[in-house]
Amino acid sequence: MSETAFPINDLLHRKLQTGITLISLTLCVASTLFLLLFSEKIGFGILSTVEGKLTYGFSVVFSQFMVFLGVLILVTGAIIISFIIFVMMSQRILDIGLIKGVGCPNDLIFGYFMTELLIIASIGCCSGVFLGIITDLASTSLLTGFQVSQEPPNFWLALLVFCLFFVLALIFGAKPILDSTRIEPAKAISPTHYFGLGQEGEFRVMSKSGLTLKLALRSLFRRKSATIRIIICLSAVFIFVTVAVAGGIIADKTTKSWVENAIGRDVFLIAHKNMCDHYQLLLSKFYGANEDSHFDYTNEQYLVCEDMLNQLNMEPGITNVDTRLVLEAHVEEVQNYTINPETGATIPVGDGRKGESLIVGVDSDKAISKWFFQGKSLEKNQAWNAMIGDSLAQKMFDLPLVQSIRIFDNDFSIVGVCLDPIANGNVTYVPLQTLQNVTGLSKPNIVMIKIDPAVNRKETLDHMREKIETVNPEFMIYELNEALDKDLYFLSYIWSTIMFLPLFSLTSASLCLIGYVMLAVAEQRQEFGVLRSVGAKPKTLLNIVSVQNLVVLLSSYAIGISFGIIITLLILVQKPLVTSYMILEIAGWLLVSLAATFIMSLYPAVQFSKKKISEIMT
Amino acid sequence: MKAIKDVVSISSLYKIYQTGDFQIEVLKDINLKVGKGEFVVISGPSGSGKTTLLNIIGSIDKPTSGKIVVFGNDLLAKDEDFLADFRCREVGFVFQSYNLVSTLTVAENIAFPMEWIRKPENQIEKGVAELLEIVGLQHRANHFPSQLSGGEQQRVAFARALANDPPLFLADEPTGNLDTKTSQKIVQIFQKLKVDGRTVIVSTHDPQISQLADQKVYLEDGRLVSLNE
Repeated sequence: MSETAFPINDLLHRKLQTGITLISLTLCVASTLFLLLFSEKIGFGILSTVEGKLTYGFSVVFSQFMVFLGVLILVTGAIIISFIIFVMMSQRILDIGLIKGVGCPNDLIFGYFMTELLIIASIGCCSGVFLGIITDLASTSLLTGFQVSQEPPNFWLALLVFCLFFVLALIFGAKPILDSTRIEPAKAISPTHYFGLGQEGEFRVMSKSGLTLKLALRSLFRRKSATIRIIICLSAVFIFVTVAVAGGIIADKTTKSWVENAIGRDVFLIAHKNMCDHYQLLLSKFYGANEDSHFDYTNEQYLVCEDMLNQLNMEPGITNVDTRLVLEAHVEEVQNYTINPETGATIPVGDGRKGESLIVGVDSDKAISKWFFQGKSLEKNQAWNAMIGDSLAQKMFDLPLVQSIRIFDNDFSIVGVCLDPIANGNVTYVPLQTLQNVTGLSKPNIVMIKIDPAVNRKETLDHMREKIETVNPEFMIYELNEALDKDLYFLSYIWSTIMFLPLFSLTSASLCLIGYVMLAVAEQRQEFGVLRSVGAKPKTLLNIVSVQNLVVLLSSYAIGISFGIIITLLILVQKPLVTSYMILEIAGWLLVSLAATFIMSLYPAVQFSKKKISEIMT
Repeated sequence: MKAIKDVVSISSLYKIYQTGDFQIEVLKDINLKVGKGEFVVISGPSGSGKTTLLNIIGSIDKPTSGKIVVFGNDLLAKDEDFLADFRCREVGFVFQSYNLVSTLTVAENIAFPMEWIRKPENQIEKGVAELLEIVGLQHRANHFPSQLSGGEQQRVAFARALANDPPLFLADEPTGNLDTKTSQKIVQIFQKLKVDGRTVIVSTHDPQISQLADQKVYLEDGRLVSLNE
């Protein structure tokens, strides 16, 4: 047999083990590459946080999340590869011992198994890169409606991930091969060595149910090295899964609540037709739409007349009438001074930066929006206060809460920074009366209303439409739910895509566990044969392996979930929105992941229990 | 010794292993009847099919064709759960390589077949103590198999095989791995089994065990030849 024929034939003869190793490696590479490629395309990736989509505040949540997932996925991938290679080599130590026993030199054995490792690493990394690119293309093509970059994938990233995992696989694989080739043949063929078995303790005779438990636990703790490795591997996977699932759900709901509260649910916009269309456009900038930069907000036709406002105020089914004046203006950062808390010295803040911003005059008492903000919101008696959007704050200000913004040559003190999807966070809210005074525009150009849920909605709307048409047929009622739902759907899509990643890792982890169970079953093969020959039913063997798998899974699960929840709540999401329904949802998903992993892990045991006793004992 | 009733009845039994394009006929047209209380010794060269025949009688393996009836049960017609129960209650099997469960102590190795048939705990403890006394290993009750010698492990295997007081006792080369002195102790156990009137089928080359035989059969190239006629 030639030197290349042995490794190839060996891999082909061990189809299941080879397949498991290849699939695990493929999934690790694919999930890492997909995360990098996808995050780069939606514009708030690990590599850079760029403008264009989502407001700055939302981008921060996403990019923090992506960075954490990126780190975790890399660590998990490395641990999975290390484990799967360890299992692969543990199953070969006996063969290495036998080959050495018949006189094969060490360097030849090392060559055989390194060739196997190179074949596995090359095929696994190549197919992982391929799968990662395909998944990225599939995901981004589904996002066409949201103007996400449809450029071809960054192949440099693909090369980087390929090299990284290829090197990792070689490093993790070369050591056990080298160790195995160095051990004496007698040790290599001893189960104590290749299964890492330890010394037994002393136990009493126990009941039937105790026997299954005892056999399971003693075998489990006998394979200390493999058991500890699989627990570490699965713990890392469950941390990742928890951060992705629990963090994803919490962040999804939290960010959605920010958007929903800023726009308002069941809110109707009453404005001139052109203004309505433009306002929709402003809201859709959140997911990357381009606005009409020449829109004339101050057009007299767009102003809401007194008569219409009176009609709306008199309508019995309306609970809120929120009048606003929306403009676009040149804004300027006003320099200020602050005190360095460490030195006590006075330091200047701001560079006098200039830019364009959407300016919204709002009556703070009647505002329907409930923004998520830092600092404080606008107050009725504070005429020269302003609250700015997070993107504007990031773009033009160093310490916005101690600075002022100059609009129409008037300085407004910035009291708050809010998250608002309108104009993608490039917005400044000021008191309506002040804005009217400084612009000379005495009327608002949009009105937002909320209808009393107790009244007949359709009838009220029809009635209002009639009245509005009577006053000005160019005006219309537009339900903001449609625009709101588009913004929310965009957030949902991104979060659900991120949540797709744990599937890759879970599958890899399940394959690792299958590898471990194969090792465990191989180690207990003779004992299982004995048990069957003296009367154990196939399900008894299945029970023993199930107990072992459960112990391993639950230990890893406890570690993984604890760390995962801590990371999610303390680090990833500020002021997380956690409801009891969300806790149930998270618990449900995590339990499904546990159950799925557990069921998959039983595959080798189920296959084994179907074997004839004579086959087992051969 | 006259058999009252056939405990084992084998007719036209074949066992063929398929390896790729090759077929290996391990057992060919085996016909054998073993009566209650009979002591049967099977001998034959290595690879003649002794272990396969014992495995088939003990329901550990299945023949390719033919018929095997043990205690009136057609083993080929039974499902795996029935056979597991059958092995636990009706058959005691001693393997050439001891085959003890390494994670269980000597006492636990003897006890677990009793636990499977749900014997009360006090009966299990009593039974284990009695069996340990029979095989002379009371002082080793809490040791693990790895702490025992080959002869001691084989005696534990005998005790385990007798745990549920099976009416049929099968042993595959029980002294094959043991020295003469240790083998002597095993022979003593067989003598006791014979005195107790238990049905025993043993494959062996040990002349001391062969002397106990009521029926001697010889396997060669998968064919059975009676040495009694």
